Amino acid sequence: MDEQTQVPPGLIHFSVLDEVLDLARANSLWPMTFGLACCAIEMMATGAARFDMARFGCEVFRPSPRQCDLMIVCGTINKKMAPAVATLYDQMPEPKWVIAMGNCAISGGPFVFPGQYAVVEGADKLFPVDVYIPGCPPRPEALLEGILELEKKLTGKRRWPVAPPQLRETP
Amino acid sequence: MSIEAKSIHRETFVINLGPQHPATHGVLRIKLTMDGEYIDDAEPIIGYGHRMQEKMGENRTYAKFLPNTARMDYVAALFNSQGYVGAVERLAGITVPERAEYIRVITAELNRVASHLLWAGAFLIDLGGFTPLLYTFDDREQILDLLESVTGARLTFCYYRFGGVCNDIDDEFVAGTRQFISRLRSRMPMYHALITKNIIFRKRCEGIGPITADVCRRYGGTGPVLRGAGVAYDVRKAEPYSVYPQFDFNVPVYPEGDCMARYRVRMDEIVESLRIIEQALDKLPAGPVMAEKVPRFLKPPKGECTFTVESARGSFGVRAISDGTDKAYRMKLRSPCFSNLSLFQECSRGMLLADALALLGSLDLVIPDIDR
Amino acid sequence: MTLAELTTRLQTLQGSTVTATDHSKQGVNLDITIASNVIPELARLMSEAKFALEAITGVDWLAEQQIEIVYDFTSYTSGIRVAARTRVSRETPEVATISDVHPGANWHERESHDFFGITFTGHPGLIPLLLPEDADFHPLRKDYGA
Repeated sequence: MDEQTQVPPGLIHFSVLDEVLDLARANSLWPMTFGLACCAIEMMATGAARFDMARFGCEVFRPSPRQCDLMIVCGTINKKMAPAVATLYDQMPEPKWVIAMGNCAISGGPFVFPGQYAVVEGADKLFPVDVYIPGCPPRPEALLEGILELEKKLTGKRRWPVAPPQLRETP
Repeated sequence: MSIEAKSIHRETFVINLGPQHPATHGVLRIKLTMDGEYIDDAEPIIGYGHRMQEKMGENRTYAKFLPNTARMDYVAALFNSQGYVGAVERLAGITVPERAEYIRVITAELNRVASHLLWAGAFLIDLGGFTPLLYTFDDREQILDLLESVTGARLTFCYYRFGGVCNDIDDEFVAGTRQFISRLRSRMPMYHALITKNIIFRKRCEGIGPITADVCRRYGGTGPVLRGAGVAYDVRKAEPYSVYPQFDFNVPVYPEGDCMARYRVRMDEIVESLRIIEQALDKLPAGPVMAEKVPRFLKPPKGECTFTVESARGSFGVRAISDGTDKAYRMKLRSPCFSNLSLFQECSRGMLLADALALLGSLDLVIPDIDR
Repeated sequence: MTLAELTTRLQTLQGSTVTATDHSKQGVNLDITIASNVIPELARLMSEAKFALEAITGVDWLAEQQIEIVYDFTSYTSGIRVAARTRVSRETPEVATISDVHPGANWHERESHDFFGITFTGHPGLIPLLLPEDADFHPLRKDYGA
């Protein structure tokens, strides 16, 4: 933020409180235990030993939407399931965020063809989405990156700098 | 409902389990009619993960449908590919080189081990124990590393092609697989100490959710569910496909039919799979991994055939009908979970709700495989 | 029950054509074509022979204006696979249910009803299984969406 857009400090510093709150929220996201399809397995893998989501404070998977503030839409939403997914979103208390994990949650993915009858073409047809993670399914690292991206959205700054991708040499 | 059922002592109520519930492994919904803590009727309602796989099998070319097969039973994706590729090869009359068949067996059995490990972790979560998941996923990640090095994917492998596999395995993979085999073998006693001998686990599984061989037959239940009911039926033995006849392996059978029997079948299958992989690595022949002269645009002649494989969950069958064009006329996908779940309604009657969830978990369901 | 015994018993069914097929080419050992009204009798016979129902497949033959229904049976003891097929008219596809003999057929029949609109008479509850509860379309018919 440059100086011109900076709001002069007021008598009561709610903004600081907000920042602290945002920081707290960003570092203790509670996702919902909610799997739709293939991506859910990668979400489980992210929560398990090797990738360990707990490093980012968001390992507290809650089965009840009332206790969650993060919905990871991991998988295909079909038309039979869509009302239930929308209800789950409505049941989550504010503030809440949504990560669309995988191509199905972004656009319907590989299941979209002209005249298709069963798939909702993207979670954003049902409710607003904050972070999109492409992949079919995305790797656990991608989900972690998506969570860091969401943290950035909450706090305004990134937890640590982006490392340039290290490509493995192919034989 | 009888007159007694209407009396005040037998007042039932209906609760919904799912479609979003941590114990239903995804998007399964079960309409439970409860008599207190006991189940009067449990009607599974499916279709919340229906993704038009059979329709897409008909309106995509054979090669374009191939990646879809990995997205049905994604926990054991290679078996679906194997079934589909096998059916199309049978239709088109393609012979697969022996090395490719060996590689298929090695990778598929690795996938079976990964699938059973994931099941063990998830089943224990259903029963209330979180820790085993961390151990099983640790081992599963080792398999995924191996498979990723040859297939390029971690979960939804699209590795088999009509006439072979798309990528040959190298010495690094062979060495890594041997290392993994000895690693997992040395860890099996740890799993038995952690899970099998755990008294809480035993109390939740032994004698719980009995499924008889006759119930399996009437509902078409296959896989570990059937073998846990004392029937030694395994497609790899009953209708040998690929190069399975060349390997020496046992079909684990436990006659009790309860959750513990199904658990034991799967744990023994892990050991048997490791044996198959080891033998396949020892005997691995040299040669090409793709059949020659497989047309780029496959147009199998008019005809119909089925191909059944023993997936990690039971018999996965494909019935393919070709009308001579580049797209299948009909692509029926018979998923094992579909039949395995259909017996739940009969078997769960009169059970405690908590026990029924153990039974549900022990069936090893993958919902998008049921709904397709 | 051996393959030969089964073949003889299946041949006793009214108007059945039993063909022994090459398992390595077709994936089944026996292929039976039968009239749709004999299906319940066939199901009883297969149940007595301790066969399990593997799947029910519908096939929409648009050019012939017919719908084919294929029943896949398998035996867990002998490993024999039998495919029984029957054809019904596309306008009014109707066949009797076999869910009273093979309870597993209940879901397979509901699925075929979803996809092809086949009516299985006597079925205890022919409501959509995979499609939404209010679905009134049959997506695997060849003229769907055309």
